[in-house]
Parts: sequence; structure tokens; C-alpha cells
Amino acid sequence: MAISNIPLFSMLRMRMQWHQERQRLLSENVANADTPQFQPRDLMPLKLDPARPIPPVLTLARTSPSHLASADGGNSFQLDRRGEFEARPSGNSVSLEDEMMKVAANQMDFQAVTALYTRGLGLIKTALGKR
Amino acid sequence: MDFLKSIAIAASGLRAQAGRMRVISENIANSDSTAQKAGSDPYRRKIPTFHAELDRSLDARVVALGRVRTDPSDFQLKYEPGHPAADANGNVKYPNVNPLIEMTDMREAQRSYEANVNVINATRRMIQRTLDILKA
Repeated sequence: MAISNIPLFSMLRMRMQWHQERQRLLSENVANADTPQFQPRDLMPLKLDPARPIPPVLTLARTSPSHLASADGGNSFQLDRRGEFEARPSGNSVSLEDEMMKVAANQMDFQAVTALYTRGLGLIKTALGKR
Repeated sequence: MDFLKSIAIAASGLRAQAGRMRVISENIANSDSTAQKAGSDPYRRKIPTFHAELDRSLDARVVALGRVRTDPSDFQLKYEPGHPAADANGNVKYPNVNPLIEMTDMREAQRSYEANVNVINATRRMIQRTLDILKA
């Protein structure tokens, strides 16, 4: 049995992927903080439903077996479409302060998830009788 | 790995801001560069431009330094009859560089640079946490 079959670990794994994806978007926002007409993007908060552990994945459909398969499972997280209300005259609406707060929050949450993952592994080790 | 993508995107921001600093320092260094002889123009202020471009290998919109444009605004005139570049009325054209604007731009570039460094540090710590799972 793979460790990702355990619901706890699969949920933590999804959460880690979500944080990873969010970090990518946030670094994009910060890098483009001075680009005219740039709109920052963010992810919607992740909702984990125990009854439906895997959210619907939006990928290109393979209608023929000769089509190339996409490398990863595709981005399964929803973008936050709410616009920013503050825009500079150049049309850029990135607020560096906001982005810094989000990056810090993302990092702390990720840290919490990895700590939980480590605890989960500790539980398994205890069950196996190893200290 | 996706975290390395985040770092690469932030690095593109660092590169763009460093290029902007280069242009700003060029403007400040040449703020007194007049023409050599009468009738020709002195140094013209340069303006860096940014644009977002899609990096296909990263699947992300990285920032790139676009063409460096020149500022078309008027030159400052100073009355210096003895200057080699003085015209018939004794006026010398000085570059259209305003040190105050350059300083403000420099602070902004510095601030954006720091923000990108922050993102890199945060991402690095996240990678470190992931690796710490192995040690548990």
C-alpha cells in the first residue's frame, strides 16, 4: 500500500501542491510588480471534501490515443478571479505589501503542513514499533 | 520541481530590476554630460521599460526588460557664455535628467529587488521544510 493511499497523507500532499502552485503565482506577481497593465493572480482557498478527495482536474482531453499526454496532471486548483481594487496609473495593480504578506502566510502554512506530514510519518513509525 | 520555477520567476524579477538600476546609474552619471560643440545635443535621459512575457519552459509570465527608450522632454538651458557648447546667445543645453526623479526610481527599483529576494528566501525555506520530512 502506497503511503499516498492513506487519506491523511493524500490530503496533506494536495495541500502542499496547492501551496507550491500558490508560491509560483505569488512570485510571478512580485516579479511583475513594475510591469504596466499587469494584473496579479491568486488561488482560491483549498477546500478538502473527505467525500470527494480529488477535485475535478481541468486538463486537455485526450480524444485519440495518439495524442501526447500532458506531463503533469495539470493545474487542478481554481484561480481567484476577484480583481484588485487598487491600480496605479500604469494599469498595474500589484501591491508589494500584500504580496509579501501572502508569501509569508503561504510559507508558514506550508511549514505547518510539512510538520503535520512529519507527525503522520512518526505515527506510522510508532505503529511499526520503531522509535 | 515547481518550487524551482518560483525561484526562476523571482530571478527574472531580479534581473529586470538590476537592468533598471543600470539605466538609472547611467542617467545619474551623465547628468552633466553636455555636448562637445555648439549645436549638438547633450546626453538624453533613458527610460527602461518592462513587459511580461510567457516563458514556455516555466509556464509562467516572467518579467523582461524591454527596449530602453529615450525621454523626449526638453533639455535644461543654462547661461554659460564661456562654455564650448554654448550657442549664439550663450546658453548651454544640459541633459534632461532630474536627480530627484532618478533617486526616487532608484528607491523603487531597490524595493522591488528586495521583494523578489524575499520571495526567493521564502521559497528556499519551503524547499528546506520539504527536505526536512526526509530527516524525520
